[in-house]
Amino acid sequence: MLVLGCIALIAGCGCLGLWFAHRIRRRPLELRECSMALALLDTEIVWGATPLPEAFCLVKERTDTPWQGFFEELQERLQRGESASTAWKETVIIQNAHFCLKPEDWQIIADVGKGLGRSDRTEQHKQIELVQRQLILMKEQAEIWSGKQAKMWSYLGFLGGIAGVLVLI
Amino acid sequence: MSLHYTLSVVQEPKVMSTLLKSIPPQKNGSHPELSKSAALWTDMAKWFGDDIRFILVSLKGVDYQKIEELRLRVGKPLLLRTLDRDLFINQEGEITSPNNAYFIKHEDLACALERMTHSSVYAVEEDLKQGFITLPGGNRVGVAGEVVLQQGKIQTMKHISSLNLRIARDIPGLSQKILPLLLSMAGTVYHTLLISPPRAGKTTLLRDLIRSISNGVPQVGLNGQTVGVVDERGELAGMWQGVPTYDLGYRTDVLDGCPKASGMSMLVRSMSPQVLAMDEIGHADDANAITDALRTGVQILSTAHASSIEEARSRPVIKHLLEQGVFERLVVLSRRHGPGTIDGVYDLRTGRIL
Repeated sequence: MLVLGCIALIAGCGCLGLWFAHRIRRRPLELRECSMALALLDTEIVWGATPLPEAFCLVKERTDTPWQGFFEELQERLQRGESASTAWKETVIIQNAHFCLKPEDWQIIADVGKGLGRSDRTEQHKQIELVQRQLILMKEQAEIWSGKQAKMWSYLGFLGGIAGVLVLI
Repeated sequence: MSLHYTLSVVQEPKVMSTLLKSIPPQKNGSHPELSKSAALWTDMAKWFGDDIRFILVSLKGVDYQKIEELRLRVGKPLLLRTLDRDLFINQEGEITSPNNAYFIKHEDLACALERMTHSSVYAVEEDLKQGFITLPGGNRVGVAGEVVLQQGKIQTMKHISSLNLRIARDIPGLSQKILPLLLSMAGTVYHTLLISPPRAGKTTLLRDLIRSISNGVPQVGLNGQTVGVVDERGELAGMWQGVPTYDLGYRTDVLDGCPKASGMSMLVRSMSPQVLAMDEIGHADDANAITDALRTGVQILSTAHASSIEEARSRPVIKHLLEQGVFERLVVLSRRHGPGTIDGVYDLRTGRIL
């Protein structure tokens, strides 16, 4: 009984640690995906002059989850007639549970919504480009940081479990 | 002999009977008619922000079919224009005096513009440079605001201060009366110019002519002909992402959003039309392109702003075209008995009124 309890505790803590590590590893990937999606959006706006609902649909088709869901919601909101900036703001709030991003990442991403669709193509391009540059910086930092942190958390989970077992025994 | 052809839509009482033909049961009381009108208003209301949408949905005693324009100006009352009246509308959707009406805020305009462009102002940049945007359904919205210049050229428009939503009407059969006058013995269409002051039904008549020519009207000996339409302002076909809102006939090719001058030669080269139709000529380039197109043997069908033949002659570009004898028929429209009143059809070769 005792042995089983020990194993369960170690496994539980270990899984928790692995899950944290997984989330940390996903963050740079999601940031990269986001900057890719923004690049697509930028192309659609600047070269295609594609209206936003259609542009979101195209971006949606070429990204993976969770960004797919994000752009899908945006597309639906715009087709319902919401303005782009409020739709972006609200989608960020609603969808951020599906992501492994940190609040500071969301702050940058939320900037895209400011004036989205309200100005001409050059303005839109400037805005998106700025966000993209910030995202790339953020991604580089996140990569370095996540390599160490992920390893730490995956060990820490198991070690924490073992420590707990030792204390309890 | 001079005949003044007047269309069936001219006299006031007749207007409604023709316009309402498309509305199925309307004789038995006004109820279905009103609900139809309300439905159309609800549909129209989706282009506006919450305040104006509420007003339009709750409009009382305003028949959608009678309204020609819907005007929004910053700090000015909400205005609906009918054939001969200006209606000021208050917060509850009732007709009222100008001082009690709902005053348009800047936010209302921004919201309307955002909804009309699906939050993508950049996508209609080219249209905005010309001062209008076209809605799905072919309704055109005139826009006025602060124009941004770059190296002397219009870059875009910002701080929009006025919107004018013109409700496009499609009245099949409008052209039947004048079509026989525009046909030669051989059954081809003469080079025709339609002139009228604004809001007199030029575009509607042209659209109907295109449809008749394209489909053919066997009763007057007209076989269907291939029609090429250069729809620079997107008003004739009302194209929305490649799908025309208005039926322009079986044999019509539409070049949407293309400048008339280059569009004409493109169509002639690629689609070999027998008739080339375009809206609102007035630029010198248009005139040159028309003279070019004439050499390829197509028939030209076009419109221009001018209230009379004299006024048309005073506009340099039109004058030049008239003097060169490009056009064979001139149709003058007016609003004397409502939009679509035909004041006269002239044979420009002989100068007679037909």
